[in-house]
Amino acid sequence: MATKQPINDPMIDPRTGEYAVIAPGHNFKSVTQKIAGLVLTGNTPLAWFGGLVFAGGIASLVVVALTWLVLKGVGIWGVTMPGAWGFAIINFVWWIGIGHAGTLISAILLLFKQTWRNSINRFAEAMTIFAVVCAGMFPLIHVGRPWLGYWLFPYPNTMNVWPQWRSPLAWDVFAVSTYATISIVFWYIGMIPDFGTLRDRATLPLARYFYGMLSLGWRGSTRHWIRYETASLLLAGLSTPLVLSVHTVISFDFAVAALAGWHTTIFPPYFVAGAVYSGFAMVLTLAIPIRKWYHMEDLVTERHLDNMAKVMLATGSIVAYGYGMEVFMSWYSASHWEFFMMWNRMFGPLGWGYWMLILTNIAIPLTTLWSRKLRVNVTWLFILSIIVNIGMWFERFVIVVTSLYRDYLPSSWGTYRATKWDYMLFIGTWGLFTCLFLLFVRFLPIIPMSEIRMMLPQTKITRGGPTAETVSEEMS
Amino acid sequence: MTLAEVQARLDGKTGRRFWKNLDELAATPEFHDLMQEEFPRQHGAGEWVDPVSRRGFLKVMGASFALAGLAGCTKQPDEPIYPYVKQPEDLVLGKAMYFASAYPFSTGAIPVLVKSESFRPIKVNGNPEHPASGGAADTFTQSTLLDLYDPDRSQHVLFRGQTSSFSQFQDAFLEAVTALPGGQGLYFLSETVTSPTLAAQWKQVQAKYPQAKFVQWEPVNQDSSRAASKAAFGTYTDARYKLEDADIILALDADFLGGINQPGFLPLTAAWGERHMYEEGKKMNRLYAVESMPTTTGMRAEHRLGLRPSQIEGFADALVYGIAPSWLNEDQKKFFNVMLADLKKNSGRCVVIPGEQSPASVHAAAYALNTLLGAVGKTVVYTETVNPMPTEQTPEFKALIGDMKAGKVQWLVVLGANPVYSAPVDLGFAEAFNKIPVTVHLGSHVDETGSISTWHLNRAHYLESWSDARAYDGTLSIVQPMIDPLYGGKSSHEVLQTLLADPKASSYDVVVASAKTYMKGDFATSWRKALHDGWVADTAFAPKAGVPARVTAFPAGKPSTSGIEIAFRPDPTLYDGRFANIGWLQELPKPITNLSWDNAALMSINTMAQLKAEETNFIEIELNGRKVKAPVLMAPGHPDGVITIHLGFGRGVEAGRVAADVGFNAYSIRTSDALSVASGGSAKVIDGSYYDLCVTKVHNTEHRGAFAQHDLEKPEYDTQGTFSMAGHEAMERSIIRYATVEEAEKNPKFAEEGASGTLVNKVGYGPQGEDPRHGDPGWDSKKEVDLSFFPEAWKYDKVDPSSLKLQNAWGMSIDMNSCFGCNACVISCYAENNIPVVGREQVKVGRNMQWLRIDTYFEGDLNAPKAHFQPMACQHCENAGCEQVCPVGATVHSPEGLNLMVYNRCVGTRYCSNNCPYKVRRFNFLLYSDYDTESLKFMRNPDVSVRSRGVMEKCTYCVQRIMSAKITADKENREIRDGEIVTACQEACPTGSISFGNINDKNSKVAKRKAAERDYSVLGDLNYRPRTTYTAGVINPNPELA
Repeated sequence: MATKQPINDPMIDPRTGEYAVIAPGHNFKSVTQKIAGLVLTGNTPLAWFGGLVFAGGIASLVVVALTWLVLKGVGIWGVTMPGAWGFAIINFVWWIGIGHAGTLISAILLLFKQTWRNSINRFAEAMTIFAVVCAGMFPLIHVGRPWLGYWLFPYPNTMNVWPQWRSPLAWDVFAVSTYATISIVFWYIGMIPDFGTLRDRATLPLARYFYGMLSLGWRGSTRHWIRYETASLLLAGLSTPLVLSVHTVISFDFAVAALAGWHTTIFPPYFVAGAVYSGFAMVLTLAIPIRKWYHMEDLVTERHLDNMAKVMLATGSIVAYGYGMEVFMSWYSASHWEFFMMWNRMFGPLGWGYWMLILTNIAIPLTTLWSRKLRVNVTWLFILSIIVNIGMWFERFVIVVTSLYRDYLPSSWGTYRATKWDYMLFIGTWGLFTCLFLLFVRFLPIIPMSEIRMMLPQTKITRGGPTAETVSEEMS
Repeated sequence: MTLAEVQARLDGKTGRRFWKNLDELAATPEFHDLMQEEFPRQHGAGEWVDPVSRRGFLKVMGASFALAGLAGCTKQPDEPIYPYVKQPEDLVLGKAMYFASAYPFSTGAIPVLVKSESFRPIKVNGNPEHPASGGAADTFTQSTLLDLYDPDRSQHVLFRGQTSSFSQFQDAFLEAVTALPGGQGLYFLSETVTSPTLAAQWKQVQAKYPQAKFVQWEPVNQDSSRAASKAAFGTYTDARYKLEDADIILALDADFLGGINQPGFLPLTAAWGERHMYEEGKKMNRLYAVESMPTTTGMRAEHRLGLRPSQIEGFADALVYGIAPSWLNEDQKKFFNVMLADLKKNSGRCVVIPGEQSPASVHAAAYALNTLLGAVGKTVVYTETVNPMPTEQTPEFKALIGDMKAGKVQWLVVLGANPVYSAPVDLGFAEAFNKIPVTVHLGSHVDETGSISTWHLNRAHYLESWSDARAYDGTLSIVQPMIDPLYGGKSSHEVLQTLLADPKASSYDVVVASAKTYMKGDFATSWRKALHDGWVADTAFAPKAGVPARVTAFPAGKPSTSGIEIAFRPDPTLYDGRFANIGWLQELPKPITNLSWDNAALMSINTMAQLKAEETNFIEIELNGRKVKAPVLMAPGHPDGVITIHLGFGRGVEAGRVAADVGFNAYSIRTSDALSVASGGSAKVIDGSYYDLCVTKVHNTEHRGAFAQHDLEKPEYDTQGTFSMAGHEAMERSIIRYATVEEAEKNPKFAEEGASGTLVNKVGYGPQGEDPRHGDPGWDSKKEVDLSFFPEAWKYDKVDPSSLKLQNAWGMSIDMNSCFGCNACVISCYAENNIPVVGREQVKVGRNMQWLRIDTYFEGDLNAPKAHFQPMACQHCENAGCEQVCPVGATVHSPEGLNLMVYNRCVGTRYCSNNCPYKVRRFNFLLYSDYDTESLKFMRNPDVSVRSRGVMEKCTYCVQRIMSAKITADKENREIRDGEIVTACQEACPTGSISFGNINDKNSKVAKRKAAERDYSVLGDLNYRPRTTYTAGVINPNPELA
């Protein structure tokens, strides 16, 4: 805790000496007005339309790329023998990893009563869902016959054929679909009180109807609140193992295979840490512009940024340990396969990818994140978050590609070169993600009003403090 | 039109014929004109304005179906042909029939046994009972199947580009020739004549038209051996080698393990392979090769010396005198002396084989050497020539062009050759050809020659027409058709017959008439037997008595010192270009270089350095003022100062959809005085040029450089001379295991892992390369040990309670001693398993679909490497990684140990391929199978699915053959016999390297091979338990050269 800071810093709570989660000067009404105002405003910023058109344009690349893919086949990509997996799997793991921060924030931090999470959990959860949308597309379209992708589900059929349960890809189906379901439910339930607020404040009949439907008859009664809190806690309990299990299962896609470079027991923790690492980076990438454009600096404060950067420091260190262990084990195992794989990964024809990974994932972030000055430097943090996202993409590239392209029999060594269709689809998913996020920002409350209100000093009823009457007055 | 006219028109027509009216029946020009119109019924109306009634529509549709039926049905020829062995009463659908025939190739006929399904030939195999095949077949012979169904084959007779008919040609031809006095001005230009019947026909034509001339010419011919044999014997003579009796073999630029370019490829390789087995009580042969470019022969030789072609001449000559030439360096001199001593020591049990493309002096030297070494009559015999009309082709061809230029040629009938493409560039063939009043081209395609000829006659394939030919030992075979000509093609016999007494006689009539002259006994019986067996009994040549005279007519030239030598060689897969439109052969990786869909200027790394060329550069090769642009490819072991270029590429669109614009045309600098090698050439890099050659493995340059401590780009860092990273890793990983005879005798268990003193550097375990349990009491490396956490799921030891027999467990064993990388197995797999051809771009990115590939690893010095060939296909692992990871269970294990691929269950995650350490799975990344081309549908094996896009596929151990054998055995209520199931690759292998069978039957050949000490699994330490194992090679080097 930053007690070294001057005591008259307005961001420091004079009672606890800690950095405040919310800047002073807010009351129930101001919070509600600020957040609900973004949604219920009649003046949508022109930049929002511009952004939506731009992002939509990029997202349309997905449509083009998928159409061509279905017409021609996965051969339009750079996948080949021996590198039978390429961008689709890399992007899948990358996107699903990004989603992890949202779940961690909404579930684990809730259970640990980290109240600072309340400012960021809504859009972090939204990010999770949109990332899962982008990620979920890839396993389906990367298969040779996507129209038969439903065969991976255990559905009753006349052939009496079931999935093959020993395959990690079959586990993936459940990991990802469970993850998507729980995330959506958790996200939606969390928004119900806010929908109630929006319904009550909406002036347009359509908006009233729309939010009225979504709010499921929320009246804010004590009974509702009790059930709401219980549901949140239960869902948090359900989601918490998912934070660990989803990426663990995805890491099994690699760890279960016998390929040197994949067949590694450290993969599950190292994947989860990597996922959280990249997820927090993505939350920062999104939070920093939003808080600036929508003037939310007082709700998403430096404390949030600082905390998220600390989480990145911790998970980044775990990831670095993972890389170190991989190198160590390739030597310590005395296995020729492992040794050659690591040598090839570092110094082979695609060795640049490994060094790119080390630079962007380890060298830059783990040297700068120690400094608090840099942790609260918004510009640097934004740049850093992008760097880490690039680094985490390279991590998956290195794992998928450099293990495959020179494996056991030298006769079948090859290389991997992505094609324009690979890039088009990948870039298109950025557009899709941005599009969805822009819609979210415009039509849903990006910060949970109810939870922020509860964090206001006014909720702490102390002797001589505001009475219940004044509180309810402010809340309306 | 009178009845007599109609009868005259119909005379000589064969087969069922449907006709609508007499005009059509007689094919009058009026009818043709009518047919050219879009709507013949509305003749004159131009457009169909009447509303089509339902009845009318059905009529039209019915007619279309009838026409489709006409195009779609196939039938046997009308003449009786006799099925081989299996003789169904009538056609049984799904039951293949086998017919013996022969593929007439210019170096001798290849006896074949053609599998015919519903009267469609679907596979060309070697004839197992013929002494010159033993059931094996080479790549060319097997690929002729695709040639038959080539959609680009010419389908009509063309007269000045317009559709015509053969009878019209016959009328015009006969009329014109009758007008020529004594046939003056009538010339035939044929490919090498292989048929005694054709030769007999020509004799008759010559008797009738004494002034007519018949010239044979092929761009790759046997002129030098012809010239040398004429000088040595007085008549043209073929040498026939008996490698079964040879302990020491010297190949003087003779690539007898390379393909049927060298006469007698199949019997020679079989004999070499048999004598190259390392077995108890057998003496292994030893092969020396002196060669001008790296070939499979050289790479399989115990000792190999790469020399420039001009040096080989001097080297051969010096061998006769026994004095090493002064221009050899010390190592080469040692090679010369030690080898000569070895040959002399084994006098009578050794043989010298000269190369077909070597100059006559090398052949003369080989005659002398074989005489000196006492080989004549023992390891080499001299016989009549296999071809009935031997000539020295080049001088005759030159004379023909002289006559053409002088205007003496009135009619030039080209039979099967394509001289406009392949004639030596200095002769100006094309200009001379255009001066001839009437030119006729009989060919399978409207190729370079056909497209500028007055008449083009579509030629019948050898699987469609009757003929005869002689195999290596002189045995006559009847070329028996399997199918009526798909497009009504005609053969050379029918063209020549036009000028004879019965002009409409078919090939069948001609061949029968001719066969009556050489068949003994009752003709009907012997004819039937000859067709059934595939050869005419007792027609092998008897050896000529006497020894060849010492020839001095061809003095060996001095090794050239100026410039670069340019060697022209027939391509290992396209030969002289005749196979250019066969996708299988275009895509087949060439031995040594693994080049596919390309030809290149092959050279050594030193020559590359001298030219400052990179493997991605084009160089411009200049020879006597003519230039050609060629991409550079380093060939390991290539002698310095020579550039080898392969013929057969650079063809135009006339050649067909596959052949067009592939590679560069080496004929464009090949002159008549230097058909096989030209000196005084030069080459320079075209600055800034870039070409990405299509090499099926990672590009050679990326493989160069030893492990870790050496820089890939800097050869000078390579102190151990180990340039090939892939090769280095192959050794390091024990993928290739071999020993010398000496080592193997000292330690018979050399290929085993973990045993003391083995040569295997075991990887994957302890730092010393040992199994961690090595040294434990009771540890036996051969014993099955559970290396897995999981108990064995399936033991393959179920006993059938009724017969008390163990269940079947299929396995394969590949003998690395006799495999020499000829690719015959790969082509066989193509035909058997309906494997698609994917094209150059797809091969370049690594998506070729061959289920079976020949892995080539180089060892040692880049300038004198050893190469190891390893056929690699699905290993059918018992603990198969692919099965574990498939999410839909599309790849599963059968109780008999087959790793099955369920195509219609596969969704295409490709995870199986990632988890396959052998990378033998092939994925249909795009729609590779051709579903549209009608003619290719006939070719497919009906027992094997044609795979669509998005589906994984791989070697099945020819599961369709296993099932068929099981059904047969079941019906006959017996066990499957050992050797009853023959996989396609095994069938084609000339040396019997591959054996397949039930490994639970301890008496089966495969089980015995697997029990041998030299048996090993590739990547065995991964505990995938592959069912395919390899027998480690043993080589027999001369200790003095070690």
